[in-house]
Amino acid sequence: MKRECSSISRLLEKYFDQEVTPEERSLVEGHLPDCSACRMALETMQNLKILIKNPVEEAVEKETFPWVWEKIERGIRQEEKPGLWESLWSWLDMISLRKKKILIPAVAAVVILILITAPLIYEKMSSYPVLSVVEYVESDTYNVMIYEREAPQVTVIWLFEGPEEEPLTS
Amino acid sequence: MDVNEAQLISRCQQGDQEALKEIFNQYHQKLYRIAYGVVRHREEALDIVQEVFIKLFRSIHQFKGKSRFYTYLYRMTMNTAIDHTRKMKKVPPLSMDEEEGFQLSDDADKRPDRILDHKELEAKVKWAMDQLSPDQKAAFIFREIEGLSYQEIAEAVGSSIGTVMSRLHYGRKKVQELLKDYVERGR
Repeated sequence: MKRECSSISRLLEKYFDQEVTPEERSLVEGHLPDCSACRMALETMQNLKILIKNPVEEAVEKETFPWVWEKIERGIRQEEKPGLWESLWSWLDMISLRKKKILIPAVAAVVILILITAPLIYEKMSSYPVLSVVEYVESDTYNVMIYEREAPQVTVIWLFEGPEEEPLTS
Repeated sequence: MDVNEAQLISRCQQGDQEALKEIFNQYHQKLYRIAYGVVRHREEALDIVQEVFIKLFRSIHQFKGKSRFYTYLYRMTMNTAIDHTRKMKKVPPLSMDEEEGFQLSDDADKRPDRILDHKELEAKVKWAMDQLSPDQKAAFIFREIEGLSYQEIAEAVGSSIGTVMSRLHYGRKKVQELLKDYVERGR
């Protein structure tokens, strides 16, 4: 091996792979006629390539790809038809999607709505009398019912003649 | 990427199986070559091609055109083939001692011309290739079988050109050493 082999051998693989610049190419080609070691190294690379590549090329040439496309179509169809587990998973995915994209804004809207309307509803409800104490007095002509609100100093007296009559309030 | 190919990809992304079929017609031989290069077995290589096109149809919406389409497809094929090899390794097809290397049978050794049977040679080549790391194997097959440039390999495997050159160099050295008898016999 000549002295310049060490610098050329770095380029030899690139030269073999046709990845050298024109300058590098002429450098290698100027060296090769005088160096059997580098020629042998190139030859080894070439033999290895043949050994690896030729059986593959032969296999490709012989191959007719029987039913390959049909099998691909069938494979795609099978993927499109989900099984029970896949359906369940996709449903769960939808749930999580809802949780992330739909449920959170919806819950936020409901909470806001409750916060806005709750005081109004409470106010409205509390305007109705809460009757807690009942006193019932029967007589021949009238029946009297006396209610007292929880709030002090408010008394409701119902006076009615029969079951169908509207009660009178005071 | 030419206009036709861009249209095909776009149609395929919208779920058009006819577009996938056109991509299949265009690429199935190249993908088979890569798959066969890795597994060196007809039926397995055909299964890999089939799997790649099903995967492609499922995931083509992820292709954004940042790399060339064929390098995207080649990478998918290489990954599928290497995964397949990993799975198959659980059932070793030949009795080979990985520490001591492939042992020639006595009968074959006694042949006058010492030329091995085609299948046996293929088994030896496959065994030698299986000693490479997945990265070395990918670089080696892309270069030696598909004839990709360093730049194309770098794109397909998602590495730098320097990394590709290094993987190719060490991969070559290793396979050369393991197949020394056959490589030198070729002289």
